[in-house]
Amino acid sequence: MSHELRTPMNSVLGFTEMLADGLYGPLPERAMKALERVQSNGKHLLGLINDVLDLSKIEAGQLTLALEDYALGQVVQTVKSTAELLAKAKGIELTATVQDGVPIGRGDERRLTQVLLNLVGNAIKFIDKGSVDISACALDGSFVVAVKDTGPGIAEEDRRKIFEEFQQVDNSSTRQKGGTGLGLTISKRIVEMHGGRIEVESVVGEGSTFRIVVPVQAKEEREAA
Amino acid sequence: MTRRILLVEDTEDNREIVRDLMDSVGYKLLEAHDGAAGLTMATEHRPDLILMDIQLPVMDGYEVTRRIKADPALWHIPIIAVTSYVLSGAEEKTRQAGCDGYVAKPFSPCQLLAKINQFVP
Repeated sequence: MSHELRTPMNSVLGFTEMLADGLYGPLPERAMKALERVQSNGKHLLGLINDVLDLSKIEAGQLTLALEDYALGQVVQTVKSTAELLAKAKGIELTATVQDGVPIGRGDERRLTQVLLNLVGNAIKFIDKGSVDISACALDGSFVVAVKDTGPGIAEEDRRKIFEEFQQVDNSSTRQKGGTGLGLTISKRIVEMHGGRIEVESVVGEGSTFRIVVPVQAKEEREAA
Repeated sequence: MTRRILLVEDTEDNREIVRDLMDSVGYKLLEAHDGAAGLTMATEHRPDLILMDIQLPVMDGYEVTRRIKADPALWHIPIIAVTSYVLSGAEEKTRQAGCDGYVAKPFSPCQLLAKINQFVP
């Protein structure tokens, strides 16, 4: 199924990029503006396709974790370097600290990286200024990775809702802020498959902290809760 | 000398993207529509580089790659897998088959070109 959905997207995005790059000659300014719309919506659609495919795989029980040994510091570093450009573009300070001497973990490194990147990406997306701080440590047999931001915060009644499908606090913000509205749902499921959980604390007007708690040694949980 | 790139790809739209892209930088593009034709053209034309789709009629991209890499006359030709299999392990599988590089679909034409130029500067 993924092949069938992504193949046409290759045409849409490929030809659009080549048109925008002037491969077929210069375009009038208004056409260029329209093309930019096609391009950004095309990318948004691809993000949706990828997320919907991920989620449907999780729900069908077809997503299995590739458990392997990983270094938590490496996961944090990968996420930090991936998100750095995004943060810099918005003038947001991104910092990361990992406790010395954390043990080697066992889990699906690629998926855990995806989860942390989702949380950090959200934080950067939803704050306009200030900082995002990633901190990671080991505590009582679990890794605790916190993403703290100085953003607008999330009201108490919205905190449960944000983990549901296609629910951003303000649905009109999907267009404005980007994102598919599925990232947190997928993240929560992946963490639960590792036998862990995601928590959120927030004070409106001060900021939010998302915390991933996963066993250092994950065993695959068959049923995502 | 003009670079010659062989594209093994069964979808016309995707061939057209690569054709236009290669055209823009003055590379000559050879095209095969299925795996078996890809192997024949690689043998006959000895291109400078091969772009290999994986899901192909007649013979899949893994098999074509294995055969090319087992041929002492052809094994030196760099092969870049271009595939929409983003499942974990797909990239590893193309490497095990002998591919030298990997680009996931949907690809950005500009990034594909950069990847090609890594192998044929």
